[in-house]
Amino acid sequence: MSIKQIAKKVFMLEILKGMALTLRMMFSPAVTRQYPEEKRPSMPGFRGLHALVRKEDGTAKCVGCGLCAAVCPSKCIAVYTSEGADHTKVVDRYEIEVLRCVYCAFCVEACPFGAVVLTGHYEYSDYGREPLFMTKEKLLSNWDNFMAGTKGEEYFRKFWRPLAEDYAAHEDQAVFRGKKTAVEASSEGKKALSIEGSGNAA
Amino acid sequence: MNIFGFSVPAGYEFIINLVILLIKIGIVVGITMLHVLYATYFERKVIGHMQIRLGPMRTGFHGFLQPVADGLKLFFKEDIIPAQADRTVFKIAPVIFVFAALSSLAVVPFFDGFVIANVNIALLYVLAMSSLGAYGVIMAGWASNSKYSFLGGLRSSAQVISYEVALGLSLVGVMLMAGSLNLSEIVSAQQQHWYGMFLFPQCIGYFVFMVSAFAETNRTPFDLPEAESELVAGYFVEYSGMRFALYYAGEYIGMIVMSSIAVLCYWGGWTLPPFLLKALPFLAVVPGIVWFLLKVYFHIFLYYWVRATVPRYRYDQLMGLGWKVMIPLALANIVVTSVVRYIVP
Repeated sequence: MSIKQIAKKVFMLEILKGMALTLRMMFSPAVTRQYPEEKRPSMPGFRGLHALVRKEDGTAKCVGCGLCAAVCPSKCIAVYTSEGADHTKVVDRYEIEVLRCVYCAFCVEACPFGAVVLTGHYEYSDYGREPLFMTKEKLLSNWDNFMAGTKGEEYFRKFWRPLAEDYAAHEDQAVFRGKKTAVEASSEGKKALSIEGSGNAA
Repeated sequence: MNIFGFSVPAGYEFIINLVILLIKIGIVVGITMLHVLYATYFERKVIGHMQIRLGPMRTGFHGFLQPVADGLKLFFKEDIIPAQADRTVFKIAPVIFVFAALSSLAVVPFFDGFVIANVNIALLYVLAMSSLGAYGVIMAGWASNSKYSFLGGLRSSAQVISYEVALGLSLVGVMLMAGSLNLSEIVSAQQQHWYGMFLFPQCIGYFVFMVSAFAETNRTPFDLPEAESELVAGYFVEYSGMRFALYYAGEYIGMIVMSSIAVLCYWGGWTLPPFLLKALPFLAVVPGIVWFLLKVYFHIFLYYWVRATVPRYRYDQLMGLGWKVMIPLALANIVVTSVVRYIVP
């Protein structure tokens, strides 16, 4: 042991250094956030409470395809549709059981129209299950409350755009070209497609 | 006999003295318990800020009512005694612990002339009481009938006995310098020297004393009897409610007593060094109790400071430090002090 090491041991220099550090830290500002008074803004793309996008005309963007319900790993989305006037699909009920949701945002990714989103809102604890069972109306009002205006648009453009928009189809790739061409398709393929579709809807 | 201008009949002097004594005890215990309450608060605050946190902030202004809330909570909590516990010993143990800690306060002079029992063996008495406190710990460990409690109790007994030796030996230097075991006389002996504090000639003794005091009061880095990460809470795992609070209070009273002894034996108690008073005469206006409390607060802060800095020792390291470093250091200190005292009386 050199003299330096002995001096280090005898005067406990390392412990004294540590003590100096803790004393210095005592006078540095704390990093604690006083939560209810000092709220943390949610980061862009935060996956919080769900919302259904409302169009300019006031109706929901959702067409009731049921892809979100199909992809949901915790099966917390339920979509009920019926046939309306002029053979249009009408979304009767769109329900999300928020307490079962795992916030994976697969529904947002799966939605071909960008009709369901996760907002930045995260303060929605409650005393019962009922207030956290989201109906279509509640989901639409969530959009009004947390995502209305340019905020929702911007978020939508940055994070919730349907992923399909990023990919241009190959020129040779077979694509769906509307009703007429669909009729020309083989009856077997059509059958298989309809079975799959009905399975998803259930 | 004359008290506050009233003449007391001859036969009643004893009763009057007793009443005065009881009032003194009430004041000392009351103020100490208040200090214990706020020692917990400041511990959490100081350690919090050292860890760049805030500590308690919710109850009252900056959490100032936190200890009151804690006390109320503990007071109204259910008192659970394990089914297989030795009920009598289980109930006696915390009382012994607090009794030993509180009764040490009897010989501590807080300022000139204010001491409950001005005995000539004050230092020995304090050492004896701090060892007696270990019984409370061991009995709790035994009576709880739990492996964690038992391990904590065993560790505590070995630790306290080992460090008791170093603690006693480190104070021998002070006894040699002062020529007395009476704490008031130790303080006045320090005033005889120009430096006014035994801290300077007895720096090794002070170091050994402080390290042993940390071990004696079961504080980090020597808190093995209650090592949270291994023994949950050590010897008082099975205690709840008020009995748990008694252990907590006992620990903090122990800290206050040990800080007081350190202040009285090494820091000149309620006095200031003569050279300082000569340089700054206006300091003499401040009453002695202020200096005493300031010095005690510094020592209690030291406890927190060390707790926030130093990690817990391993058990064999603890024993090695006690027997191989602290006791030889204290013995060397005694030898050097004796020789110097013999040459320079």
